[in-house]
Amino acid sequence: MQESTAVRRDPMTAATARAQSRVGRFAEVGLPASGVLIGVLLVLGPFLATVIRSLLYWDRDQVSLSLQNFVGLFGDPRFYQAVGNTVICGAGATICSCLLGFSLAWIVSRTDLPGRRWFEIFNLVPFFLSPYVGAVSWIYLAAPHSGVLSRLLNQYLGLPDDFIRIYSLGGVIWVLSLFYTPYVYLFVIAPMRQMDAALEDAARVHGASFWYTLRRITIPLLTPALLSSALIVFVTSAGLFDVPLALAAPKGIRTMPTEIFQLVQYPSDLGRAASFGVVVMIVTVLFTILQRRYIDRRRFETVTGKGYRPRLVQLRRGGRFAAWMLEFVYLGSGVVLPLIALFMVSFSRLWTGRLDPSVLTTHNFEYVLFGFKLTQTAILNSVYLAIVGATIGVALAVLQGYYLNRGSRRRRALVDSLLSLPLGIPGIILGLGFLIIAIRTPLYSTLAIILIAYIARFFPFATRTVSSMLLAINPELEQSARASGASWLQTMRYILLPLLMPAIIAAWLLLFVIFIRELGATILLYGQGTETISVALVILSEHSAATMTALAVVQLILLLGAFMLFRLTRASLLQA
Amino acid sequence: MEQDAFVSIRNLTKRFGEHVAVNDISLNVAEGHTLALLGPSGCGKTTILRCLAGLETPDSGHISLAGNVVFDHNARVNLMPEQRELGIVFQSYAVWPHMSVSENVGFPLKVRGVAKAEYDDRVARILNIVGLGAWRDKGATQLSGGQQQRVALARALVHQPRLVLFDEPMSNLDTQLRDQVRMELNILQAKLGFTAIYVTHDQAEAFSLAETVVVMNLGRIETSGPPRDVFHRPRTPFVARFLGLNVCEGKLVQANATAGGQVEVAFGESLRLRGLSGDEQKLTAGAPVLVCVRKEHIGIRKLAPGAIPQGLSGEIRAASFLGLNEEYVVALEGVELRAVQPASGLRAGDRVEVSIRPEDCIVFLAGQNRLD
Ligand SMILES: Nc1ncnc2c1ncn2[C@@H]1O[C@H](COP(=O)(O)OP(=O)(O)OP(=O)(O)O)[C@@H](O)[C@H]1O
Ligand SMILES: [Mg+2]
Repeated sequence: MQESTAVRRDPMTAATARAQSRVGRFAEVGLPASGVLIGVLLVLGPFLATVIRSLLYWDRDQVSLSLQNFVGLFGDPRFYQAVGNTVICGAGATICSCLLGFSLAWIVSRTDLPGRRWFEIFNLVPFFLSPYVGAVSWIYLAAPHSGVLSRLLNQYLGLPDDFIRIYSLGGVIWVLSLFYTPYVYLFVIAPMRQMDAALEDAARVHGASFWYTLRRITIPLLTPALLSSALIVFVTSAGLFDVPLALAAPKGIRTMPTEIFQLVQYPSDLGRAASFGVVVMIVTVLFTILQRRYIDRRRFETVTGKGYRPRLVQLRRGGRFAAWMLEFVYLGSGVVLPLIALFMVSFSRLWTGRLDPSVLTTHNFEYVLFGFKLTQTAILNSVYLAIVGATIGVALAVLQGYYLNRGSRRRRALVDSLLSLPLGIPGIILGLGFLIIAIRTPLYSTLAIILIAYIARFFPFATRTVSSMLLAINPELEQSARASGASWLQTMRYILLPLLMPAIIAAWLLLFVIFIRELGATILLYGQGTETISVALVILSEHSAATMTALAVVQLILLLGAFMLFRLTRASLLQA
Repeated sequence: MEQDAFVSIRNLTKRFGEHVAVNDISLNVAEGHTLALLGPSGCGKTTILRCLAGLETPDSGHISLAGNVVFDHNARVNLMPEQRELGIVFQSYAVWPHMSVSENVGFPLKVRGVAKAEYDDRVARILNIVGLGAWRDKGATQLSGGQQQRVALARALVHQPRLVLFDEPMSNLDTQLRDQVRMELNILQAKLGFTAIYVTHDQAEAFSLAETVVVMNLGRIETSGPPRDVFHRPRTPFVARFLGLNVCEGKLVQANATAGGQVEVAFGESLRLRGLSGDEQKLTAGAPVLVCVRKEHIGIRKLAPGAIPQGLSGEIRAASFLGLNEEYVVALEGVELRAVQPASGLRAGDRVEVSIRPEDCIVFLAGQNRLD
């Protein structure tokens, strides 16, 4: 390199350099911190609103600060019924989805079952579907008299017409299990894959049988993943509004989410609802803390991969048959049967419980897409909320993830736990918080407040996705860009964001899916003109099965579209 | 502080919580020179580099580069990394996996807004220099460890910074490649004339590359100086042990008349040894001391059975084959010494005569020097 000279920026005076360095540091520190600040406000706002509202008691026109709301709540037998039923639903769904999720993950990752690559993909599909639509489809399948399955069972096996009691806690547990199985599946499949085969082989060599090894080695090693997913499934499934609304409420079975919904309906008792909300929040936060503690304590016990690929178990005839049966039952009940029901109803002119090929029509879709104001508005609103919400949510997630992994170490743990508070909070509770904030303000029943509630409830999912990927990126990659002369913003743009792109895409699609189907928070916040697809489904469920299912199919297409993109971009759900 | 030093670090301290990683260090490097930071793992070498590059904020002290203050705790000056105009090669290489070789190397030019023609020209030239001319459009992750290391090197040099920091750049290379790259670095530096600070825990690397070697321990400087001085006259028992000398405890029998003069030391029951005092101050008789002897300076000769030894006598405890040389563990009245000699076929259990010249023995007062 003969005469070439150094490439430098224009020289500046020491004073300018110092001034510039102060400004630069402000961006570096200030931007991530503002992301965190917004997150904290989004979390604390509805929390505080709910707590304060629960302490305000209206006696005629006299408002006072008192515990009267709680006294009323705890004196009401309906409260205990609702809590009891909700615990039953949560526990039942947790047990079933842990059993199912563990077995499916094991079949797919540790056996030589033919077709396991396909099962691996399809086991995740319920993760992308709407639980409300799932529950409604199961009504079409199993409702007494009109359900397709009930009818077939009655006709061919002579079983009583109400053999499957879908309108019951059992029905709720059944549908919840179908939807929460992929959570457990995702949680345990990664450690199952990474597990050092030598751990199991050692047991076998020293004389343990296959089942003994499974019981004493494999399952204990996977217990951390299994238990922490169980805690999450319990909290989130118990708080889900969609399924009890469809399957428990019609028969007057009280659950926590539907009770809160009732309390907000006319004649509403927001004070009572808020005090119920506070109780739920406290319990959920305790569970979240428990789960985090547990994960923290077990962090160093996780199964480390040494690069040995676990040996695949060779299934014999019986085993293969059993594994296939399990897959067919799961995919059948979780995906195929509900979809068939949905399509049958949506293509029929008038649903009578029997598919009549002569009245098949696409009229319902034309009506939903081009003829009906409500559904048109709902589709536009949902797509708008999903796209804008996912984009804002991911932007927040990147800033927060940066703060949590690269920012100053102080307060990191506190910020992290604050920001993950909403993870378990039921949507309807957060919706209630924002309703309390927005009521009697111009924000009331606008898309803006729905958008804010969506982001507040779900940004932690995106933050976790981004954060776990950031953790795996060596900070020296960014530091060498800085040392090469790039400013912080340039380093973000050229180095960190491109490297983070898989996580950003995964988080965006995840939020998109969640927002397209969200119901719990929206149901309390929507107004005329701000209905979403899910809200419109609930409204239509009382009037027109045909229109409703057609709209559900439209929603399904949006959700499955996101799923396809997920596969195409190879974004990993495991990061979520 | 020397006014003409290109890099000047004064009283630099960096803590991580309670732990003091860099403890009140002062250093100067002249323009165009190479300084090697040597020391055991965790002694704070990387931390010093990171403070220089602006990637870590020191707790106190002053750093100036090329006459510009880049950090001063008291004056609250702390320039950002990109304002310091340097190059760095990380231990992990930190080659960006989403960019091609030429994008990686051209990055410092890109952020400085260099025009396309000059950009291409410079990238091509530096890639040729590091021998990666044919690889420019390859993805960075398709390269081997040694090639990635060259990419990192090219990236650190392409904008011709006047200071380049190297953090154990060769720790992942095999011995052959290491020698080759070391030679190339020497040639490059002669060509481009940059100042370098080079972190390593490989002595040979430090000695062959640097004008000045600094040996660190627990965040402090143990010794610094030209490689030959540091090598031949270890200043402290720590440095002696770090360089692989025998270090054993004894008691001073006869004090020296002058500083640095000859002393006599007793080991075990009746073993006596003469050596030179390595401390500045006068030693007093009876003081506990440490005696340091280079392995290669211990002469051993096989004793015929029944022969009466003239000097010290000992027994071989173990022998290990090193190629041209062999290393022996010799026991002298319970004191074990290691000796390296051309292979002479001695075996464990053989009785030997041991000779050590007084001028090869350095004696330090024990206790005042930290040993570990
Ligand atoms: N970010 C950090 N947080 C806490 N402690 C740190 C951090 N970085 C370094 N340390 C500690 O500071 C000390 C010095 O670390 P440093 O990386 O400078 O050592 P080193 O001399 O480069 O070692 P090596 O040869 O192993 O690279 C170590 O004890 C290390 O544990
Ligand atoms: Mg280091």
